[in-house]
Order: sequence, then structure tokens, then C-alpha cells
Amino acid sequence: MAPTLPSGDQASDQDNWDNGRLAHKRQLLTEIVLRNRLTALVVDGDTTCRVLEQLLLRSYGVQTQGVDNGRDAVALIASGVKFNLIIIDMILPVLNGLEATRQIRDMGVHCKMLGVTACSGESERQAFLAAGVDVFIEKPLDPEHLVPILRELDGQ
Amino acid sequence: MDLAALKTQLKNFVQSMFEEGVLDNQFSQIQALQDSTNPNFVEEVITLFCNDAERIINEINRNLGYQNVDFSNLDSYVHQLKGSSSSIGANRLKLACANLRQASDERNKEG
Repeated sequence: MAPTLPSGDQASDQDNWDNGRLAHKRQLLTEIVLRNRLTALVVDGDTTCRVLEQLLLRSYGVQTQGVDNGRDAVALIASGVKFNLIIIDMILPVLNGLEATRQIRDMGVHCKMLGVTACSGESERQAFLAAGVDVFIEKPLDPEHLVPILRELDGQ
Repeated sequence: MDLAALKTQLKNFVQSMFEEGVLDNQFSQIQALQDSTNPNFVEEVITLFCNDAERIINEINRNLGYQNVDFSNLDSYVHQLKGSSSSIGANRLKLACANLRQASDERNKEG
């Protein structure tokens, strides 16, 4: 299958080769993920960030749900919905990310939690990890950080 | 101007933004997410971002206009803009936010 470039322009041979390899890699990873049907919850108050993170996950075949505040995230988990992965921002409306993370962990939920935030300080990192996230990632969430985690989840 | 020429112009314009550091690799990731199931994704997400960013920038300007600037209120807006600009690959805007936060930390209204 010939790869399609977003702009639809005439591609150079090198572009075609690079895009072909990239598309092939993504295809492999998507097949793995679809086989395991991973699910993820994205918690971010900013629409741009939430939409982008959800779409990134979906491009790897992860089924996602998004909420825009901490209280709704906690309520959703409390209702019994299970996720393999939770992506959560630190600063959230209604209930902040630190407190939401603590409450989710207190419920006995052990799934992988990624704290993805624009905060970059060491104290913020320590606080988020202490609240219960497994990994602290400074925004933006990119494939470099996400793919190894998806592979790990797939292997379980 | 015909479609092909317009497309070339757009491609060159985007390329120059990469070269000037206005856009970074994160934007390339977003371009890579556009495919036949999401044909207008890049345009949609840029529109989404610009609408949010405009609102936030207006709030930042409003806050800076006060005699006594509420720096912690300002900080939360700048933080939000930093998050969304870094997610979309708006590199220079992200850096500007970081600078503004630092100046704001120093309570430096002039900065």
C-alpha cells in the first residue's frame, strides 16, 4: 500500500521511503494494541491538549475516553469503568490532578498512570509521583515516551 | 493562483516556520496523525488551539493592564498556554510563556 502524505503533494523517493517505514512501524504497533484492545482515560482541562493526546493514543489503536476535570475522572473510575492506562494533568478544574490521582489510587486501582503536565520543576515531579503516578512526563506527550509504555502494557 | 501553487506556497511557509523555530518536531508528529480517517485534523486542531489561545492571551493582557497585577492568576493562564502551545508544536510561543513565567516569578511587570 502506497503511503499517503498529509499534504497530498508529490513526494520525493526519500519521503516515500521514510513514510513507508513509519507507516509500517505504526501498523505493527497498532496490530499489537488492537489484539489486546488497550483502553485509556485522558484527563486534561485544556481541550487542545486532551484532543491531541486522545488522537495520539487512537493512532496506536488505543480506545480512549476523555474528561476535562479531576472530579469527573474520579467519578468515572469509581463507577467501575476499567482502563489500562490513565493520562492525567496536574492542574485540573474542580479537583486537581494530585488529589484525583490519590483518590484513584485509594480506590485500589493499580493501572498505569502517566502524569502529563506543563509543570517542569523537580518538586512538581516528586509531588506527582508521590501522589501515585507511575511516570512523570513534561508536555507534550510524544511517541518517544508513549510507545515503550504501550509495548509494556501489551506484553502483560 | 492554482491549487498546486497554493499547496507549494503553504508547504514552503510551514517549512520556514520550522527553520525559524516557530514550529518544532511536535508539529511534525501532529501532521503525521492526519490520514484518511482524519483528513482535516491539522486544520481543526490549529483552529481549536488558536481560539483557546486568543482567549487566554486576552486574559493575560487584561491582567497585565491592572495597577496591581495578580501574578498568581496570571501564572495559571500562562501555564495553560504553555501546555497547549507545547502540545501543538508552537515552539516560540512555548518559550515565550516560559520567559513570561520567569519574569512573573520575579514580580517584574516591566519584563
